[in-house]
Amino acid sequence: MPTYTLNINGNDHTVTVQDGNMPLLWVLRDIVGLTGTKYGCGIEVCGACSVMVNGQRELSCDFDVSSAVGKRIVTIEGLSADRSHPAQQAWIENQVPQCGYCQSGMLVTVAAAMNAGHHGNQIASELRNLCVCGTYQRIKQAIQKL
Amino acid sequence: MDTIENASRRKFLVSSASGLALGFTLTDPLGITRAEAAATDTTVTSWLRIGTDNSITLTVGASEMGQGSFFGLAQILAEDLLVDYARIRTEQGQPSLSNPAPVGASLNTVGSSIIRRNFWAFRDAAAAAREMLLEAGMNRFGDHDRSHYGITDGVIIHQPSGSQLTYGQVAADAALLTPPASPPLVPDRFLKIIGRSVTRPDIPQKVDGSAVYGLDVRLPNMVYAVVRHCPNFGGTLLGTPSVPSGMLAVVPLKVAAGTGRGTEKTDAFNAVAVVGPNTWDTWQAARRLGVSWTLPANAAQLNDAQFLADAQNLVTNAVPYQAGGANPPGTLYTVEASAVDANAQIAGAAKVVDATYTLPYVAHACMEVLNCTVDYVAGEKCDIYAPTQSARNVLSLAVALTGLAPSQITVHTTFLGGGLGRKAETDFVSQAIQIGMAIQRPVKLTWPREEDFTRDQYRPMALVHARAGLDSAGRIVGWKYRNISPSILGQRGIPLGARGDSQGYEASDELPYDFGSRLTEYVTHPSPIPVGFWRSVGASINTFCVESMMDELAAAAGFDPYQYRRALLTDPRWITILDAAATLGNWNSPVPAGTARGIAIGAAFDSIVAQVVEISGTSTSFSVRRVSVTIDSYLHVNPQSVEAQITGGVVHGLNAALYGRQTFSNGAAQARNFNRSRMIRLNEMPQVDVALKPGPSQTDRTQIIGGVGELGVPTLAPALANAYFRLTGIRVRSLPFFPGATMGEIE
Ligand code: FES
Ligand code: FES
Repeated sequence: MPTYTLNINGNDHTVTVQDGNMPLLWVLRDIVGLTGTKYGCGIEVCGACSVMVNGQRELSCDFDVSSAVGKRIVTIEGLSADRSHPAQQAWIENQVPQCGYCQSGMLVTVAAAMNAGHHGNQIASELRNLCVCGTYQRIKQAIQKL
Repeated sequence: MDTIENASRRKFLVSSASGLALGFTLTDPLGITRAEAAATDTTVTSWLRIGTDNSITLTVGASEMGQGSFFGLAQILAEDLLVDYARIRTEQGQPSLSNPAPVGASLNTVGSSIIRRNFWAFRDAAAAAREMLLEAGMNRFGDHDRSHYGITDGVIIHQPSGSQLTYGQVAADAALLTPPASPPLVPDRFLKIIGRSVTRPDIPQKVDGSAVYGLDVRLPNMVYAVVRHCPNFGGTLLGTPSVPSGMLAVVPLKVAAGTGRGTEKTDAFNAVAVVGPNTWDTWQAARRLGVSWTLPANAAQLNDAQFLADAQNLVTNAVPYQAGGANPPGTLYTVEASAVDANAQIAGAAKVVDATYTLPYVAHACMEVLNCTVDYVAGEKCDIYAPTQSARNVLSLAVALTGLAPSQITVHTTFLGGGLGRKAETDFVSQAIQIGMAIQRPVKLTWPREEDFTRDQYRPMALVHARAGLDSAGRIVGWKYRNISPSILGQRGIPLGARGDSQGYEASDELPYDFGSRLTEYVTHPSPIPVGFWRSVGASINTFCVESMMDELAAAAGFDPYQYRRALLTDPRWITILDAAATLGNWNSPVPAGTARGIAIGAAFDSIVAQVVEISGTSTSFSVRRVSVTIDSYLHVNPQSVEAQITGGVVHGLNAALYGRQTFSNGAAQARNFNRSRMIRLNEMPQVDVALKPGPSQTDRTQIIGGVGELGVPTLAPALANAYFRLTGIRVRSLPFFPGATMGEIE
């Protein structure tokens, strides 16, 4: 069983898995114990599983753990220590979440877009994540100022 | 512990453990859930605790699935308790089967009911607690002149002396007092918290990943189970497969009593669970597992063409209901009939309009898949962690399955990643309990998304035949409406009365239109595909058909669809809401070429709602630009929360109207994931404007408070179809607009 060292939210974690094809999503949730990253579809359609890998948004449900070695992984838990990331602040200010289940993925995706230097409506036009509760209107409002 | 009864027969229980604790009874939201719950289960209770440490805690058994009602209850309490809303800590109660319940017990969170059914209970409880605390304070000060006192944020101020006592300081004394029978409520003009948009306390944990949903539960020594059902409804397991290498167990799963619907019979083994070291490896093992299934004899009939043919046959060939008879599927129920014979009126009308509408099965597809975690120790305990809308049903199910005493069972209701009615069912919970009992070790059961889509209890398919007669002036002289759909209550073994399934005909009866004469019918469709409660239930079906038909009649009569409805409506509250929607949606202002508006009105859960939908484009490609919603639910505790619920309901309605459909072949559901069951993304989001029209008083107990959580849904589809008709001249009578629409990968 292969063992990998992953850098997650600035800390190194050593994980042992049956094989290197296990998606990062399940390594994070079941082995590392970071459950903020969500499972929604498992087929790259919903975006609930979004994480940042070297600053870019990746869908962790289809990202082999072996490919994450040596890269900087940031999950929702690592976006800030105190909900101070501007996207988190905007989400609170606009009272965006309903059930909240999709919002980890939304926030990580938005944060990655901000990393890439995108702003406001440009981020909104790129954001494809699914929200079954239908919080899109408040998400648009929250993104305006980013 | 004392029990007293007040004027409205609402019981308060007083407990004096470390402060004042006031227990009070809440209302069971729906008669049907009571019928489903154990017969012993008659009391639901909530606790308000004022600690000697000055803490204020509300223990309530409602589930929080994003609708915010959990916190709305705290908001109501804060008003009459005269404390800052932010000081009230809310905690999840434990369900109970005993009477009275020992701890804050559970409600079933269904029927858009939590706020509306319990508004007065919470106001009374808060006012009673406040009066007891004040009385205890007056005793301390030795001054019983009420005019000498003021209360500010839970501090009792004795004005002559300027001395103060906090609620915490008098809580122990207050617990020894008798609750007042009719404590005065804060008068309308002084209301400061009810009706105000306060922030929700659950938001911070939903932006940093710390909120714990059912799927996030982790217990020491926990293992992981993944379910695999027979892909065909009605199919059963043929032998238990051996345990794959690397896995811990394979557990055959049966349908627990009370959890199976339609094709799924009690005690039939319809699924198997693989247990392993983590979700992914276990899921892969479950996928690869060689399993043999026996298909039911009627498998070949379980397909959409057959369902449609059966429905079409029942347009003319249904057998009338007989009191005391067997009334099998295919029975015709008369929901309402005017003294004047509608059929005769239609036959003699100047013009007859006849239309048949069809709606498909639709899955719930909550963002969080079904899951449940169980820690079972034989003869000792069963801890259940579930994203459930009905903790009480979970408890009674656990008692039945484990044989443990209720006191040995703990139900932990987690956050729900969406409920939508699906998580009011307990099939997934029963599976987790079976697995826990088989392996005797903490275990989390996950339904892969494919299982969630293909083993849902769907919104029923429906065929509605409507027929109306107009006189030469365009007035309706006769209205005939027949809804043919599988019965939700029937699949739960609940006997239907002479009017049929209330969940099936709701929003098709008692319509406040002047129809001249009317005949409203409901026919049970024989399809055994499991059906269930889907956000707004029957209203999501009937409001589409009724309001599409009203539009067809307006067109046939040559009237503006808004003015036509307005002229025929007989209820002033409906007219007010319709007018408000027309104004909000700019009904009377001209639209650019390629743009059109549609309108619809309806009622559900005692609220009235109207929408104007504006679309632009062509018959093959259009975008929904704007949705304007007005709602009268009599009162609104948190307007911002109501607005979020309505907007979310609009999206839910839009997903279903545009794309929502589950199809069947040999009883196997065909759409297995979001890629085959499209929903809107952010780029398709219309501008949604919501205007709330509250009633005149917040203290008039005679008024019926309406629900909110499901109200955005019912009028969306008809308003959309009506807009599409005005845009293209094409009448859409079959939903969804885009059957089979797919959704691509994000990147
Ligand atoms: S879970 Fe990865 S995109 Fe849906
Ligand atoms: S907030 Fe519930 S799915 Fe987005």
